[in-house]
Amino acid sequence: MMEVSLTAGAIGKIMNGEVTTEADMIPVLQVTDLKQIMAQQDPTRERFRMVLSDGTYLHQGMLGTDLNNLVKEGTLQPGSIVRLTRFVGDVIKGRRIVIVPQLEVLKTISDIIGHPVPGGKHNDQRGSDSGIKFNTTEQHGSGVRQVINIEPGRSNAAISPQVGGTGSSVPASTTPSTRAYSNPSSGNGVTRQDYARDPPTSYPHQPQPPPPMYANRGPVARNEVPPKIIPVNALSPYSGRWTIKARVTNKAALKQYSNPRGEGKVFNFDLLDADGGEIRVTCFSAVADQFYDQIVVGNLYLISRGSLRPAQKNFNHLRNDYEIMLDNASTIKQCYEEDAAIPRHQFHFRTIGDIESMENNSIVDVIGIVSSISPTVTITRKNGTATPKRSLQLKDMSGRSVEVTMWGDFCNTEGQRLQSLCDSGVFPVLAVKAGRISEFNGKTVSTIGSSQLFIDPDFVEAEKLKNWFEREGKSVPCISLSREFSGSGKVDVRKTISQIKDEKLGTSEKPDWITVSATILYLKFDNFCYTACPIMNGDRPCSKKVTDNGDGTWRCEKCDKSVDECDYRYILQLQIQDHTDLTWVTAFQEAGEEIMGISAKDLYYVKNEHKDEEKFEDIIRKVAFTKYNFKLKVKEETFSDEQRVKATVVKVDKLNYSADTRTMLGAMDKLRTRDANSLSINPEGSDYNADVVNTGIGSSGTRDPSSVQRRDFGLHAHQSGQSGNHYSGGGATTSCNVCGNSGHVSAKCPGATKPQEQGQYMGGSYRGTTGSYGGGLPRQHVGSY
Amino acid sequence: MDTSSPAAFVNGALLRRYIGQKVRAVIQVIRSDIGSVIGKSTDDQQIVVKGSPNPPLTTYIEVIGIAETENTIRAEVWTNFGDSFDVQNYNELCKLANGEFRHLFI
Repeated sequence: MMEVSLTAGAIGKIMNGEVTTEADMIPVLQVTDLKQIMAQQDPTRERFRMVLSDGTYLHQGMLGTDLNNLVKEGTLQPGSIVRLTRFVGDVIKGRRIVIVPQLEVLKTISDIIGHPVPGGKHNDQRGSDSGIKFNTTEQHGSGVRQVINIEPGRSNAAISPQVGGTGSSVPASTTPSTRAYSNPSSGNGVTRQDYARDPPTSYPHQPQPPPPMYANRGPVARNEVPPKIIPVNALSPYSGRWTIKARVTNKAALKQYSNPRGEGKVFNFDLLDADGGEIRVTCFSAVADQFYDQIVVGNLYLISRGSLRPAQKNFNHLRNDYEIMLDNASTIKQCYEEDAAIPRHQFHFRTIGDIESMENNSIVDVIGIVSSISPTVTITRKNGTATPKRSLQLKDMSGRSVEVTMWGDFCNTEGQRLQSLCDSGVFPVLAVKAGRISEFNGKTVSTIGSSQLFIDPDFVEAEKLKNWFEREGKSVPCISLSREFSGSGKVDVRKTISQIKDEKLGTSEKPDWITVSATILYLKFDNFCYTACPIMNGDRPCSKKVTDNGDGTWRCEKCDKSVDECDYRYILQLQIQDHTDLTWVTAFQEAGEEIMGISAKDLYYVKNEHKDEEKFEDIIRKVAFTKYNFKLKVKEETFSDEQRVKATVVKVDKLNYSADTRTMLGAMDKLRTRDANSLSINPEGSDYNADVVNTGIGSSGTRDPSSVQRRDFGLHAHQSGQSGNHYSGGGATTSCNVCGNSGHVSAKCPGATKPQEQGQYMGGSYRGTTGSYGGGLPRQHVGSY
Repeated sequence: MDTSSPAAFVNGALLRRYIGQKVRAVIQVIRSDIGSVIGKSTDDQQIVVKGSPNPPLTTYIEVIGIAETENTIRAEVWTNFGDSFDVQNYNELCKLANGEFRHLFI
């Protein structure tokens, strides 16, 4: 299903002359009416007149004759959504017309979007509006005030267009809130608010954005006086009328709230200007509606007339004592020309080494190389809500590493991306803006609501880090500020037995805790247990080996006592094997009992007291070739000048085939993505390949076997990995569209995001970092994959 | 039973590829009549299995037989797989065994 939205405010801008050709903007509009007229110059050719709408306002247009066939074929009809790829807004015989020599039909059939009304025009005749005269007095210097008297019989223009629900027959009023004119500073003392402003309470009832533009253009096309721009850092509550020019570095989502005073919505965005000054801007309710769509991260805007208030340091971590609150009088005007002086983002990076000495709960920006990342886990908070959490290790040149924890959406968006990058062997650079330092197993950095993560950013620091990493960082061990979580043994680190030798596990200071899935090959049954001291030492038995006194008693050196009856505890030497290698491990009491299925004492009796060889052998035989998940503690120990890596079985778990299979399927997928990435296919290309896959395969869930032989195996591996991402849940596929893993569907995905965004997920997350599209349109979904 | 050709792992969608050939599938039993059993394949398609199983039948059974149509199997071997079974994993197995790793199976 294509999601198309019209370019908000486009007609307004065309009407006031801000936008005249496609060089200014390429808008998406809706054709609400099409009429064939006789061309005056050439009576034989037909010309089509059309009415274009941006959801709010209507505008007259003429269709270029080259496009006539679109109308004749029916591709272009009333209701069609079009993108004006070439057009000129012009004044012909005193009327503003948009001439469109070239357009693209995005959607042929569509309901009329919004309730567009004719933008008020000078001497315009439009359908039912004939006879209205606008009587205005303007003050050009400030371009602020408009007095409108309309002939009796029509509602007062002060009222916004929706009043009475008369729809398009009501002329667009000229609410004085001007946005195009951002310069209140030209000495006009008139306050604007007084004039015929709608009481703010009427706004929430009307879903449409308030009319932005003046009705009358006439001779004044644009206010020529350039606004006086002041630096952001100079703003204060005493600033009077000010204008700033800055770039949006962050935009928060529109949030609804409800407090004792009523309900409302709010959103905020952060600005950065050429001097490096930063400030947050907040908009409530009506104002939020007004500006929300206009603000795009990365775009430059001229903003004026807002109120300054002290910054809320709890939420606002920018370096400014104030924050801006916009109101109805505020204006935001987009600057289409780039200003290289204004950076996209500003950071105040600290090295990881500095973090060690920083206070908890302080906010910091940090940048480093991601050396490892773990999958998302779900943490249940004390209040019962479950949130996703993902942690990674960040290293930098200070020789320190720290654990960075991502919460909420970051896990699925940036987190997933980082995971794929790491899986494919790359060590990406990650910059964190506004992370909070906390103490949890050492120092950690966590994301908060206003944090931002940047992967492989285009900064000088990122370059430096990459170079450092290549040269030395990879091999130099970093001292971690965060205690390794493997110490607590909670996380299941799956390894194969060959990896014990290959990765030299156990040779570092601390023992390594790993889990292997292996089969018992052989069991040494000569000394499978020892005589142990049963004396309780607290709540555990001493368990030290006791020596036979000869008279039936047993002596324990540690407790310095003799006991009549000793315990028998397992000390099983087992040889276990998996598909890679085999090794000897030792299992003590608890694990031993689990494996043998009989207590050590009983087994001892069977063998030695009862001398029941047969039964003994029976038991041993049953144990051999059983497969378990062994949790091993691997540590290198010195035995009289000899270093040996010994593995102790800490826990034995029966295999859960179901869970193991899932893990394996996940690992296979990871392997596939890694292969795919190593074929250096870029993410944009994945869309292209998805089309190829889809056409070639068609029905659900399976791959045409003949296609396997035809295509190169490596490429196929890529496609099968990528197609998992791009199937929209049709048919019987159970590969998850969100994380690419199979074995579950996106609805149950541990890293689930909104289902609609799947198709755009891969592309979207990369493109999102580049800020504005060509022309800086606020919102333009045109088609999906 | 004719053991000359190996049976391909199928789910509902894959069954149609092996019409006339020997297949094996795990089915969740929905209803059992005289001479046939109605079941649900691991990808939630309805499958009819013809033949007479030995009672009792557990919830999940594996049938090996010839695929008659795209949703019928004439079973020769019936095996009880118990009452709990990980359907998703089996489904993945079917997909892999007929796709990427076909060469390992047939």
